[in-house]
Amino acid sequence: MSTPVLQARDVSMIFGGLAALRNVSLSLDEGKIHGLIGPNGAGKTTFFNCLTGLYTPTTGQVLLKGTVLPGDPAAVTDAGVARTFQNIRLFPSMTVLENVLLGRHVRMKQGPLSSLFHGPAFRRGEAAARDRARELLAFVGLSRVEDELSRNLPYGDQRRLEIARALATDPAVLLLDEPTAGMNPQETEAARQLIFRIRETGVSVVVIEHDTKFIFTLCDRVSVLVQGELLIEGTPDEVRGDPRVVEAYLGKPPEEVEAELQAVQEGETP
Amino acid sequence: MKAMARPLIIVGAIVVIIGALLPWATFVLNDGAYPDKASLEFFDAPFGLTSFRLYLELLGLAGLVFALVPLRDRIRVLKAVGWGSAGIAVINTLFIVGDGGGLGAVTVADGHSAFGGLAATVGAALLLVGAYQLPKAPLAVIKPRLPFWAEWLILLVAFVALLLLVTETLTAGGHSGVSDPYIGPLFLSYLCAAGALLGVLWAFGVTKWISDMSERHRIFSIVVLLLCAVAVPFTSLGNDYWMTITANIGVYAATAIGLNIVVGLAGLLDLGYVAFMGIGAFVAANLSGAVAAEFGIRLPFIVAAIAAGIVAGIFGAVVGSPTLRVRGDYLAIVTLAFGEIFVRVSQNNIGGLTGGSNAIPNIPDLSLFGAQFNDSLTIGGIQLPGGVLYYFLIVLLVALVMFVFGNLKNSRIGRAWIAIREDEDVARAMGVKTGKLKILAFMTGATLAGLAGAVFAHKLATASYDSFQFNQSVTLLAAVILGGMGTIPGAVLGAALLFVLPEELRQFSDYRLMFFGLALVVIMRFRPQGLIADRHRRAELADEDVTGESLDDTAIKSPVAVAGVKEAGA
Repeated sequence: MSTPVLQARDVSMIFGGLAALRNVSLSLDEGKIHGLIGPNGAGKTTFFNCLTGLYTPTTGQVLLKGTVLPGDPAAVTDAGVARTFQNIRLFPSMTVLENVLLGRHVRMKQGPLSSLFHGPAFRRGEAAARDRARELLAFVGLSRVEDELSRNLPYGDQRRLEIARALATDPAVLLLDEPTAGMNPQETEAARQLIFRIRETGVSVVVIEHDTKFIFTLCDRVSVLVQGELLIEGTPDEVRGDPRVVEAYLGKPPEEVEAELQAVQEGETP
Repeated sequence: MKAMARPLIIVGAIVVIIGALLPWATFVLNDGAYPDKASLEFFDAPFGLTSFRLYLELLGLAGLVFALVPLRDRIRVLKAVGWGSAGIAVINTLFIVGDGGGLGAVTVADGHSAFGGLAATVGAALLLVGAYQLPKAPLAVIKPRLPFWAEWLILLVAFVALLLLVTETLTAGGHSGVSDPYIGPLFLSYLCAAGALLGVLWAFGVTKWISDMSERHRIFSIVVLLLCAVAVPFTSLGNDYWMTITANIGVYAATAIGLNIVVGLAGLLDLGYVAFMGIGAFVAANLSGAVAAEFGIRLPFIVAAIAAGIVAGIFGAVVGSPTLRVRGDYLAIVTLAFGEIFVRVSQNNIGGLTGGSNAIPNIPDLSLFGAQFNDSLTIGGIQLPGGVLYYFLIVLLVALVMFVFGNLKNSRIGRAWIAIREDEDVARAMGVKTGKLKILAFMTGATLAGLAGAVFAHKLATASYDSFQFNQSVTLLAAVILGGMGTIPGAVLGAALLFVLPEELRQFSDYRLMFFGLALVVIMRFRPQGLIADRHRRAELADEDVTGESLDDTAIKSPVAVAGVKEAGA
């Protein structure tokens, strides 16, 4: 069996006295889509921040292709893990193309002197970066608006631009934090297709999402986080059928709740 | 109200013209050129008007013509005309009241009546009220491209016109800065008239057209601009006084562009920036062979200047290193403290390198092929004023600094700086090594300031701590913000305004700094993105523009226009 491309081993994150994550593990095989679901406050985003080096886990490790990732976001991106953000965080006053070019930053090598003199090598590198950025904009379907300021884009396009910017770093693993939040069904479907196409290019994907239907039809495997702990990990079918997941997500099944309520009421009436 | 717009404008314009023709003061002010045209002249010589009254008459006529000619988007044209006339009318009326003694000077006194100022003010106000009633229209865009030789010709004409406009503005009301006691209001009147003219050109899309054209012919534009700068000593600015002023503007413009890297691009607020200029000045002074210098060695200027840049750059890196940990307001305080440390250390001559309160005087004049830089020079029979070689050196310095700024801005590093300014955490998450890049911004800015400081020390022949105080840092910062953050022309314009206005407004003595401060407040309120805005910065501030009356409102709102706006600052 090949090494998983991204692996988290017993990651715990403790803020002061509060344990936001307790011994969460995750293993992502190459070319797969892994879903991460859980109720609000389950620690999904905290886990993402641990994966991307924004937080250094209190205990545990994150490995990319068997190598421990450094505890620094810039270095993690350099190593090949890129992300998007739950609340869109583009560079609002840069153009669409410039946003993607910024994603290319880490793969470009021009130093200060080269940037100062704009020699032939600089211009080649710049042109190559622009070509790649335009390719990615075409990939996510934003070619028409490359000269617009990113702040002026509609919401759905901003999400796609964030993905293009992350892809510009040539990642091995792409982490998407709620990529369909606030989208209508058509946009959600388009996002699903986009994620499938990303997988086809050989990039492995981890997705956080609230929309369980979206996750179960998208992912190869799904992990469920509840109150900072990993509840279950398995194929969508395994997870969907697990009563603990239903309970954690929806509370108890309606019949059970009703029965309990009745029991309480009966207990109260003399 | 809308129906009243045109009648209001027409009446306003006519009243402005009448105001220009009426006498302005009930008595002859002292002795000079200002009052003789401002008092007893009347309708008998309507075409003999000079100076501010001529501008008013022309603006009034323009208002009348544009109100009558059917134009789709005349609102901006008329606003420019209205604000220009209002400025001229108010400034001169206030001046006559303040300098000539009371309200009687602009109404009726001693059997004379002089309602010119009040009439023009009222007329301009009517014109403005009318203009603001007009329907809004998108900014005119001139599209057609011409053959390249025609575009070159237009650019050439435009730049030469710009050069003439600048020289005329600066010398309005006197060529040496002391000859005319009325230089303040005359200068401001000219500024208003020039502003109105530029505003009209802008409203017709001419300025945008020319700036796009210069973008297409970048090299040509740069060469012509350089030639224009070199031509300045051959114009009416060609005397010792203006060589000194323009050289000072140049030094501060170069420094402001350096500061623009730190503040405008990377978004790091630096309140002690002038200290780097001071470090450069003291390094150059110590290596110049001045008697008071610590080291008795005299290095060639170019070597000393490079050393000054390097030392300042090292200090820049040191001061910049807290940026790894400190952000925003806290960083501003760190830099403020550094500036203060520099001033105190050099004032008390700690380390013995700064001459303390005696400064380092008598820094030898530079010379090239036997020509002393402060002496006048004769080329091909034309006598050039003293200090002209310093002026050329400083033109070179500014060109160099522009080169550095422009190239870095349009590179991987410049983009990363802008990204840091916009959202540092995300920049980091995208793989930008923010720490290194922030220090690099500080270093680059400091090096440029150090170079400017080296030239400054030789030009002044003195390096004194007194030139590098906190208020200089603030003025430079104001120059960058006023001119427009993140752009080269903005920094140059800001530096020019901030260092010329106090010279020109000497006249208003006690009030000049107050007026100056007021002007800053007004500009920041109505144009927070600065006079020449960077595309990025303009967009950032667009939200705060509640009225939507920003000069560039259409450019912000219409995606098509945005797509058309090329790097204004490149």
